[in-house]
Formats: sequence, structure tokens, C-alpha cells
Amino acid sequence: MTRRLWLGAEVAAVALVLALLALLVWRVVTDSNPSVAQSLNTGKHPTAPVFDLKRLSGDGRVDLASLRGRTPIVLDFWASWCVPCIQESKRLEAAMRTYAGRITFLGVDTKDYGPDARRWQHKHGITYPSVHDGDGKVLSRWGGLPIPRIFFVDRKGKVVGQLVVEEDLPRYLRQIAQS
Amino acid sequence: MIRRLIAGGVIALALAPPALACNAHPSQAQLEGEVMCPVCGTTLDQSDSPAAQQIKRAIHRRIQAGESDCRIKDALVANYGSSILAAPRRSGFGLLAWWVPLGGIVVAALAVGLAAWRWSRRREPEPAASDPSLNGRGALDPAIERRLDEELARYDG
Repeated sequence: MTRRLWLGAEVAAVALVLALLALLVWRVVTDSNPSVAQSLNTGKHPTAPVFDLKRLSGDGRVDLASLRGRTPIVLDFWASWCVPCIQESKRLEAAMRTYAGRITFLGVDTKDYGPDARRWQHKHGITYPSVHDGDGKVLSRWGGLPIPRIFFVDRKGKVVGQLVVEEDLPRYLRQIAQS
Repeated sequence: MIRRLIAGGVIALALAPPALACNAHPSQAQLEGEVMCPVCGTTLDQSDSPAAQQIKRAIHRRIQAGESDCRIKDALVANYGSSILAAPRRSGFGLLAWWVPLGGIVVAALAVGLAAWRWSRRREPEPAASDPSLNGRGALDPAIERRLDEELARYDG
């Protein structure tokens, strides 16, 4: 009886070690998936990873899956503590008026304090909707810090590029509007 | 030994409630040491980044409004997720992070103690104390001993 108990304990210990090993492997494999920014840097155009986040202002959520493949999207990762984000968001606000009805503009307020973020939008006159990515998990899948990061998704749901230099904005906007 | 361990566990559980209690008047320094900066990987008190300063201001406003540390932390977790706290909460699922390592140490100590006890019981018994005159050898066969005595008696005679 004691011998059987001892054998059971040994089997349980080995099973526990194997389970922890499997968890480690799973984490390494999951973390090694390239972000959208990394894929773009290697010349690939990945399908936009979906997310489902709460709106920054008002109730409800935005599910990117419901937009992806239906309309071109400009995705703007920003935060109220990010100084360069002010200028980029203002440029997107102006572009939104030009491409109204043809391109969806969506902000992702990331690693930010919600009340400050709402004040920031009001202060700088940013009217396109934003969702709140408080823990930054969505930002990580798209490329991580630093921000601002602005991505352009065509009508088929493929990420065609991200804004690197000023000239990228009109070029990518034309490209996804025609997709 | 087991009784002492159980007693230790009971004492730890008895002391747990004070640790779980909320501080109604937290200090800015206390919370800055317990909350992470979301972009730097350090606690707030070690960072002057704009994101850290933003949270420091939010904490300051809430302390001024008379909120407890639990309430302030709840608000920050609701906004940033549980990773904003430098240490897991001492309640709910977070309690596991505190007790599982302790439980693991206790279980490991018990296993080692049990193994040592079993090993000590299995050891071979010590050989009986032998006659020093044998010089480590076994006793002579009685027939050989009798013959040896006869030979010695013959020489003595």
C-alpha cells in the first residue's frame, strides 16, 4: 500500500514537471509570434489582428472583426502622455474630414488613464472614436512602444503599412481608399 | 514537527486579516511604491516618465478626495489591468500567488523529512560487537579449535 502511494506521488511529481515544461514551451511559442510591425518590416502584409475593446467615451465596445474586410481602416495607437501623438492625431482628424465615408478612423488609447485621455481628446479637438487598451496587450500584438503608431488596413483586412515618415500618410490613405 | 508546521500555518492565517485590511489614509509614497509605471517596468517612485507622472497625479487627486488605498488600487486595476500592481492582491485569485509558494515549501519539507525517516529505518542493523581478540575474523571452527588445543598441550607437555 505504502509502495503504491509512493509510486503515485512520484508519477504526480513527474506529471507536474511535464505540465510546467509544456507551459513554458507554450509561452515561448506564443511570444515568438511576430507583431504586425515586425511583419511589415520583413515585407509581409499580415491580416489585421482583431480585438474587442471598450469605447473610451460612452458605452459599448468596438470589435475590429466587425470592421475588418468591410471598410478600409486607419488605426491610431495613442496616449494622452505622448507628446508627438498630438500632432499625428490632429493630422488624422484633418484626413478624416477628407476621406469621410470612405475610410474608418479608429484610435486605440493605450496604457493611458481613461479620464485624462478623454480630456485630451476634447482639448485637442479629436473627434474620431477611440477604444481603451489600458494594459497595452493590443498594442503589443501590433508592435508595442513607442507610440504614436499608425497602421493602414485595406478593405480586404490586410495591413498595407504603417506611418513612418510624413509622406506615408497621403500615400497610404489613397492606397486603402482605392482598395 | 508536523504539529509545529500546523501551528505555524494557523498563526499565519490568524495574522492574515490585518494584512488584508485597507488603509483609509494612504500616503503618496506608499502607493508609488506599490504601483507600476506601465511603460517603464519599474514602480512609480523610480520613474519620472510622462506616463508615471500621469498616474502619480491621479493617485494624488484620489488621496485628496479621501479614498482608501484599496479603492485607488481598484480604480487603477480597472483602468490598466492587474499588471499595474507591483505585487499580486492579497485577496481572491491573487492570494494564490502568496500561498502556493509557501505551500510548496511546506510540502517539499515534509517530503524530504518523510524520505529521510524512511531511509533511516531501512538501513542495515549494526553488526554485533565482536570479540577484540578475533581481530576482525570470524570464530574458529570448534573441531579446529579442539585440535589446536591438543597440539599446544602436546608441545607444553
